[in-house]
Amino acid sequence: MTTLISNTEHQDQTVHRVLLGKKQILVTEDEPLLPQLERAGVLAEYQCREGYCSACMIKLLWGKVSYPVEPMAWVHSGYMLSCCAIVKSDIEISML
Amino acid sequence: MSYSTFNRKKFDSLQEPMFFGENVNVARYDQQKHPIFEKLIEKQLSFFWRPEEVDLSNDRKDFLKLEDHEQHIFLSNLKYQTLLDSVQGRSPNVALLPIVSLPELETWIETWSFSETIHSRSYTHIIRNIVNDPTKVFDDIVVNDEIAKRAISVSKYYDDLIELVSLYNTLGLGVHHVPERGEVVVSMKTLKKALYLTVASVNVLEAIRFYVSFACSFAFAERTLMEGNAKIIKLIARDEALHLNGTQHMLNLMMSGRDDPEMAEIAQECQQDVINIFVEAAQQEREWAQYLFKDGSMIGLNAQILGQYVEYITNIRMQAIGLEPQFATKNNPIPWINAWLVSDNVQVAPQEAEISSYLVGQIDNDLDGADFDDFDL
Ligand code: FES
Ligand SMILES: [Fe+2]
Ligand SMILES: [Fe+2]
Repeated sequence: MTTLISNTEHQDQTVHRVLLGKKQILVTEDEPLLPQLERAGVLAEYQCREGYCSACMIKLLWGKVSYPVEPMAWVHSGYMLSCCAIVKSDIEISML
Repeated sequence: MSYSTFNRKKFDSLQEPMFFGENVNVARYDQQKHPIFEKLIEKQLSFFWRPEEVDLSNDRKDFLKLEDHEQHIFLSNLKYQTLLDSVQGRSPNVALLPIVSLPELETWIETWSFSETIHSRSYTHIIRNIVNDPTKVFDDIVVNDEIAKRAISVSKYYDDLIELVSLYNTLGLGVHHVPERGEVVVSMKTLKKALYLTVASVNVLEAIRFYVSFACSFAFAERTLMEGNAKIIKLIARDEALHLNGTQHMLNLMMSGRDDPEMAEIAQECQQDVINIFVEAAQQEREWAQYLFKDGSMIGLNAQILGQYVEYITNIRMQAIGLEPQFATKNNPIPWINAWLVSDNVQVAPQEAEISSYLVGQIDNDLDGADFDDFDL
C-alpha cells in the first residue's frame, strides 16, 4: 500500500511498493525507477538512461507511472521505460 | 512513376504516409507528421563527434602485446564493424530516399546515414593506428568467407528493395521481364513488403549485430586494453541507440496502421517473416562468435557467453517492436556491458538545453507510444 512517510530532512515522501517476482522494493517519486531498482540490487538493463534507446523497457503488469519528460522511445501499452518513469502508485513489473 | 527531385504538385505533406506517397518537395521542419524524426535529427546533430579527437597511441602498444588469437578476435570484429557501417553509410540513402514522402523523415535518413560515415572513418582511424598496412585489413573484408557470409545477409533486403524500386521508377507497376531474373511483380504490395522486411533487417543490423560487436570491443577494455578503441565504440554505440530508435519507430508506426493502413496489413502478413529474420540473424551471430573464438577465448568472453548475449539482446529487440521474445536467455550474461554502453560522456542534449519546449506535463502510462506522436510541442 502506498504510504506517506514523514521525513525530517525532506518534505513528506510518498512511498510506493514495486513488486518484481517475489521481491518487493520501496520507491519514492523523487527519481525514476531505474536507479532505485539498482540500489535495491536488481540487475536492470539500460543504455542511454534518458528515454531514447528502449533498452530499459520492462513490463508494467499493473499500477501507474508517469513521464515528466516525453520519452523518445516508443512505449508499448503494458510496458514502461524504467530509466525515466516515475512510479505513481504501487506497481508490479516483470523483466523479459 | 519516376522520381522527381522537386515535386511540383501542391499537397499537404502531413497527410502523406512515410513511404510511397508523393515525392517530397519543400524541405520544411516547422510541422511534422511524425515529430519523432525531427527529434532524432536534433539529437543526432547534438551528438556530432570526430574520430580524430580520440587518441589511440596506447592502443597500438596494447595491440602488439595481444596474443595471436586475441589479435584475430580484435581485427575480425573490426572488419565486421567496417562492413556493417560500409552498408549503413550508403544504403538508407540509396534505398529509402527515392520512396520517402515526409520531409522530416527524409532528413532523418540523411542525418542517420551521414553519422554512419563518421563510424566508417573511425575504423580507418583505428586500423591506421594499430597496423602498419591497413590495406591488408581492408582487402580481407571482401575476400574473407566468414565476412562475405555476413555481407550477403546484411545487404540482401536492401538490394531487393532497391531493385524493385528502380523497376517501379522506370517501368511503373506491372509484371516486368527482367533479364536473368525472369518475371518480377511490381505492385504496391510487393514494394511495401520489400520495404517492411528491409526496415526489419536494418533494425536487426543496428540493434543486434552491432551490439554483439560492441561486446567484443568492450571485453578488451574491461581488461584495460584497447581503451582508445573502446572510447570510439562508445560514441558509435550512442549513435546506434538513436538509429535503432528510428527503425523501431518506423516498424511500430507501420504495424499500428496509423501511418498507412495498407502497411498494417502487410506487417500482419509478414510477421512470421520478420520473426525469422531475427532468429536467423541470431543464429548467424552465434556462428560468427564461433569463428571469432576459434583459436581461443579471452578473459571474460567466449563463444558460449557471446552466444547467450546474442539471444538476450535479440529478445530485448523483439520485445521493443511488439514481438514475442524467441529465446530462453532472460538475463544479460555480460551485465558489465551497460556501463560501457551508457552515454555518460554526452554533450548537452537538446532536452536539457531547451527543457521548456520538452516539458509537456505528465504523461499517462495508459497512452501507447503511438499516441506520443500526436502531441503538439
Ligand atoms: S535506458 Fe535508454 S530508454 Fe531507458
Ligand atoms: Fe554505424
Ligand atoms: Fe547505425
